[in-house]
Amino acid sequence: MFITDIRKEFYDVVTNQRVALLVAADIDAVCACKILQVLFHCDQVQYTLVPVAGWQDLSTAFLEHKEQFQYFVLLNCGANVDLLEMLQPDDDSVFFICDTHRPVDVVNVYNDSQIKLLIKQDDDLGVPSYDEIFRDDEEDGDSGNESDEGSEPSGKRRRFEEGAVERRIERQRAKREWEGRRREILFDYEQYEYHGTSAAMMLFELAWVLTKDTKDMLWWAVIGLTDQWVHDKITHMKYVTDVATMQRHVSRHNHRNEDEENSLSIDCMRISFEYDLRLTLYQHWSLYESICNSCYTSCHFKLWTLNGQKKLQEFLADMGLPLKQVRQKFHSMDMAIKGNLRDVIEESSNKYGMKDIRVQTFGVHFGFKNRFLASDMVHATAALLESTEKDDSASDNFLKALDSLSRGNLDRLHLGIDLAKKKLMAIQQTVASCICTNLIVSQGPFLYCYLMEGTPDVKLFSKPMALILLCKYLLKAFVHSTRNKRCKLLPLVMAAPKDVEKGSVIVVGIPPESETSDKKNFFGRAFEKAAESTSSRTLHDHFDTSIIELKTEDRSKFLDALITLLS
Amino acid sequence: MFCEKAIELIRELHRMSDGQLPAFNEDGLRQVLQEMEALYDQNQSDVNEAKAEGRSDLIASIKLRHCCLLRNQRCVTAYLYDRLLRIRALRWEYGSVLPANVRFHMCAEEVQWFSQYKKSLASFMRSLGGGEGLDITQDMKPPKSLYIEVRCLKDHGEFEIDDGTVILLKKNSQHFLPRWKCEQLIRQGVLEHVMS
Repeated sequence: MFITDIRKEFYDVVTNQRVALLVAADIDAVCACKILQVLFHCDQVQYTLVPVAGWQDLSTAFLEHKEQFQYFVLLNCGANVDLLEMLQPDDDSVFFICDTHRPVDVVNVYNDSQIKLLIKQDDDLGVPSYDEIFRDDEEDGDSGNESDEGSEPSGKRRRFEEGAVERRIERQRAKREWEGRRREILFDYEQYEYHGTSAAMMLFELAWVLTKDTKDMLWWAVIGLTDQWVHDKITHMKYVTDVATMQRHVSRHNHRNEDEENSLSIDCMRISFEYDLRLTLYQHWSLYESICNSCYTSCHFKLWTLNGQKKLQEFLADMGLPLKQVRQKFHSMDMAIKGNLRDVIEESSNKYGMKDIRVQTFGVHFGFKNRFLASDMVHATAALLESTEKDDSASDNFLKALDSLSRGNLDRLHLGIDLAKKKLMAIQQTVASCICTNLIVSQGPFLYCYLMEGTPDVKLFSKPMALILLCKYLLKAFVHSTRNKRCKLLPLVMAAPKDVEKGSVIVVGIPPESETSDKKNFFGRAFEKAAESTSSRTLHDHFDTSIIELKTEDRSKFLDALITLLS
Repeated sequence: MFCEKAIELIRELHRMSDGQLPAFNEDGLRQVLQEMEALYDQNQSDVNEAKAEGRSDLIASIKLRHCCLLRNQRCVTAYLYDRLLRIRALRWEYGSVLPANVRFHMCAEEVQWFSQYKKSLASFMRSLGGGEGLDITQDMKPPKSLYIEVRCLKDHGEFEIDDGTVILLKKNSQHFLPRWKCEQLIRQGVLEHVMS
């Protein structure tokens, strides 16, 4: 069931209890986890934090901890599947689920006792009403009545029996109709997968209601929201609306210090609303590198072609930025140039067809040296979360990413920024080589691309978030470079080798690229059906159903099944 | 050269300057004592000779040997005393039950000394707090909060805390637990205190 008063129904319930926190491996969940940890520290709620990477991890963690804990809080996992059936808990276990995955499974919505959803009941949920899906079966009791009419005269009895039989046939027909409608409704409801309001923002609201919100928590909520935007999980409209909500909080926090001038020390954290450039990590890199490696600019200029490179040089010349300055680290650029850089770039980009080079976001500033934009932090933490260093397990990486969000661990954050730069460069190079060698093939209902094992940096793309980022950049680049109008509207399915020893590949599917896309992804169900029909050996372990693992040998038959399914 | 063996003993302890206890060098100690015995015997005979025959040229060598004897004595007592100090620190670090590999490095007399030290520390702690007893080996630094956040570095299995609840300590899980229960495990290296 949905929780209406998050303080009374969630926080007050767990305050005097011990809680198990099961957290999924994405940045929004990590931020939400940090916010909740600080709240628990304030109120001395004992908890155990277990990172979970997929459904199997979730089940294992639940089995290990079910004896000791009654209350489980799940962050960014668990809403889109029938949880009670999967975990088979005892009757007194209670699950609090704060998840952005939609659609929420109907059993989770209508279960009153064990599942509490920390989700806002927006308009976009569209949950079917109770009567359309669940119904008590009463008509089976009527069929017993016919045998009781023993002593009636035969004529009347025959007429009565005929009436009773007709009524039974009528009821069965109605039942079949109802079941048919139910199947249709559920199919429509569960067909598309999408994402809702960020979990970090939900928990920040909880902190705000408790008046225990701090600037740190606000910053983490901003990072959680920006993660959804960077990884393209929410629509632009929703992002703008949520940014407006966050901006109200930011101005509320900044308003406290306005009456006294210079009252805050330089080490205090200041969050500010920025209408900043869409160039990834540009303040921690050189401007030139950032333009070359940001998806938006690279796709518009088509930087994998010679023509594109020339256009870039023209663009820089148009703005009057000397190449020597632009190739230097951003900090060392001339102050005069840095001064009105944003306006200059915006003006020039309008001439080159890039109307949205600036985007609404937030930045933080503490100490003399430390300035970060929210998207910088998202890229850094994502790179740490999915780093492919040899000895690090998934939970090691999770803890490193968790640490990097604290202000005291700046060296870890800088390490994350370096890893993010490498990742972005790898993505750009892979995109360039895929487009130039025409690795993207149209299979009819969708585009398909397979990364061969020998591709440089292919290990980076065995992780889901990195592969999805590559997919999106590749699709954008493809849309900009192809002349085939029909292909521009197709979704993309991409496969990359995941584990060479086990012989498996990771397959992801993303919706088509368009300005007004609603980011609804139907590949989850499609993958399931294709795997069933060809009995391929697949593992649907990830919380996003559009990401699966598949055995390399089954790749071609799976693909064929998918094509037939979607045509 | 005289006193070399004694310096060897001291150097051995100096090498492990972080408080670890190396194995008890019984061999080295015996060699030093033998050297001392030999020096003493030589001195004894020389003194007798000097007294009997009035040879004053032996006095220098007697003095030299005497100095060596004193030096050996000083080195050996320093060795033994430093080991005792280290063993005492172990009680504060590990608690009253020492891990087997540390106990292996102690000689029988040191083990005896340790158990007596344990007893006197325990009776002192019992006498504090108006007869109720206070465990002063906990909270060596003033604590900032009742509960601390710890991260599990290795699989340790189940762990019980005061109110009877059991926690599963699995690698890479984080827990928020009462400070006093965690200190032992932090010292043993199973848990790590996370400061944010």
